[in-house]
Amino acid sequence: MGKVKIGLLQFFTLTVLFELGTALVVNLGMNAGRDAWMSILIGCLAGLVMFWGYVYLYRKHPDMPFTAYTRKLLGTTAGTPVAVMYIVLYMNLAGRDLRDGSTMLAMATMHNTPLFILSMLMILSSAYVLHKGLEVLTRTSLMFTIIVLLIGVFSLLLLILSGSIKLFRLLPVLENGIGPVMDSVVHQNYMFPFGEMICFTMLMPYLSDVKKGPWVIAAGMLISALLLSATMALNISVLGADIVERSPLPLMPTISKISISDFIQRVDIFVVMVLIIGVFFKVSVFFAAALIGISELFNLPYRRMVYPVTLMILFTSMLDARSFTEHLNEGGRLLYTVYPLFMIVIPVILIIVTAIRSYFSAPRPG
Amino acid sequence: MKMRRLCTFLLAVLQLLLPLVLTGCWDSVELNRRAIVSGVAIDRGEGEKEKYVVSFQVIVAEEISGKNTRGISPVVLYTGKGRTMFEALANASRQTARFLSLGHVRVLVISEKLAREGIKDMLDVLERESDTRLTSLIFVAKGQPASELMSTMTVFSKIPANDLVEKLETTSKQFGYNFRMEVDDVIRGIQLRGGGPVINGVFTDGSREKADSNDNFKTIVPHAILKVSELAAFKDDKLKGWIKGDAALGTVLLHNKIKEYPVVISHPQGGYIAFNVYQSQVRLTVAAKDPEHPVFTVKISQQVSIKENANELNLISPATVVDLSSHVIKDTTRKIKDAIDTARKYNSDYLGFGEAMERENPQGWKKVMKHWEDIFADCEYKIEADAVIRHTDMRSNSFQVNP
Repeated sequence: MGKVKIGLLQFFTLTVLFELGTALVVNLGMNAGRDAWMSILIGCLAGLVMFWGYVYLYRKHPDMPFTAYTRKLLGTTAGTPVAVMYIVLYMNLAGRDLRDGSTMLAMATMHNTPLFILSMLMILSSAYVLHKGLEVLTRTSLMFTIIVLLIGVFSLLLLILSGSIKLFRLLPVLENGIGPVMDSVVHQNYMFPFGEMICFTMLMPYLSDVKKGPWVIAAGMLISALLLSATMALNISVLGADIVERSPLPLMPTISKISISDFIQRVDIFVVMVLIIGVFFKVSVFFAAALIGISELFNLPYRRMVYPVTLMILFTSMLDARSFTEHLNEGGRLLYTVYPLFMIVIPVILIIVTAIRSYFSAPRPG
Repeated sequence: MKMRRLCTFLLAVLQLLLPLVLTGCWDSVELNRRAIVSGVAIDRGEGEKEKYVVSFQVIVAEEISGKNTRGISPVVLYTGKGRTMFEALANASRQTARFLSLGHVRVLVISEKLAREGIKDMLDVLERESDTRLTSLIFVAKGQPASELMSTMTVFSKIPANDLVEKLETTSKQFGYNFRMEVDDVIRGIQLRGGGPVINGVFTDGSREKADSNDNFKTIVPHAILKVSELAAFKDDKLKGWIKGDAALGTVLLHNKIKEYPVVISHPQGGYIAFNVYQSQVRLTVAAKDPEHPVFTVKISQQVSIKENANELNLISPATVVDLSSHVIKDTTRKIKDAIDTARKYNSDYLGFGEAMERENPQGWKKVMKHWEDIFADCEYKIEADAVIRHTDMRSNSFQVNP
């Protein structure tokens, strides 16, 4: 895909939209009950530590994506299978997010539309943008971040004006101590959505600035964590912890509480827009990561693989589970069983190998 | 080169055609195939097979804003029966020519009979279904079938459901005995341990004979009038009784939902004095070191204006005004007391004392939540009321002072 370089602002907005993604509309961290907002913040801190590990690898190999330096560090025989596993992981993650998105759309508005059609429309738009290139995706993210933020500000304003926010519903804080919060962090929040930043190891070679780039991405993570946390706090203060816990998409009933003198109401279509935008970026970034990996590993031209990968993601998403309940249950278990292997264990091994190598190959005085 | 241009052209045409397939996909229902439901009445039918008798007040759009109206009723009532709410909705479609769209339901009326039996089963569909919305207002039909409330013609709005919403809004702003209760408020209310929701009552006054036709208001005095009534007190999901008079006002005060309400006191020197309380702030705090014996404190601060003073009181003297405000304080205290007594009578903590306790001492709350009713029944409480009369409106003394 040539020598494209992507500016810092665009990388920042891409990070924000990727992190917000589906997380903005789902009941994130509700294992922690009404302290969900706290577990998101703690999850973000853990995510930032992990991300700094990825940044270490990136700074040592600024021109290579993840799949390239696994082979360099582990040798071709051990490195290639690992790289292939990562490509499969990215496609799987894209498929899972696609399923999330299309099912939520079906639940929220389009009850009778076949899931396959919804998924297809969404993945085709991703495929189209990626066919145009990575820089198009990042430029699109700039536009959509503005839209998402505007929707956010507008909805918040309307909620305040309609007087539905009751901050006392957030009390008592830490009812059962820090235990449930940490439990939620360990089971979900450091991985989803912050651990998923692993796929940025594939995109970071396109950063225009090796030095500042990682900081900008980290800032994007932090800001999106604050937004996510504020959104969950908003949901709980409007609906109460119990209703949020039982809603797959709590942002929707929250926004539907907006009613300004019975004139401005039913603005929940905004949530659907945010959902579609979020899913689009989430799927597209994983998709791009998989594509970069494939084109680098098998030395294939990037564009030729767009449609085959589209099909793979589409069918992964369809065959993933029969029901959404099954899908969520499976996803919940993957978060603390399989993903830590990819997002912590393997990167840590690579970091150790890199550190040892650079220690021995460093020119020593004397 | 020419080939390339042709391709671009074809692509452009294709692009223009593509949006056509995206119009709402499989779920599109044209506007002229939709019928908008404005209100829903839920009655208890006979037996299990027809447990829910659900009546839908459907807006006849042509009659509301069309050019060539037929002079028929602006709304129609369709009824469906079933074991569940959803079945009843589907069942109603046998009579309706169009798809009932529940996105704009403004009022849900539950009959008293069903409310006494329990409402938790029917609330699930209102939450789960994505078309219905949480901002619909819930009412209990006091002593009559709910469907009668949805089939009463009203004067100020062609759509009776809207009229009911406006009535509730007006009375809660001016009289203070009622307040908005939406679907999610009721659900949270049912989940209050040891308590329940409080729901507004509604009934029709007058003869039912011509209530459902335009004849209802052909006379200056309508035959039947839709009226907002007392508050229905629930324990868990079952109606226990009605909160009346002072107790109702105290309940609204304790929920901190009051906007304005009149206070009338009879002065020791003779005559009634009427005040308007235009601002009141209530805070419920609790000292719950010992969860078995919590002490609640209700703090109220109010701002009052004098509206009626048929009396010879010297309103120029600040002492008199302070004395008057002490009467208001007494009145408020009595109302709060009444509200708490009524809640104890119904054995239901719908006032949210338990919630206050949970916020203050969550660990202690866990110990007592199982038998919260007993603690609520004889816990201590203090009322610290304060009221200030800011001014005496457009006159100081009454003309009765200088005859």
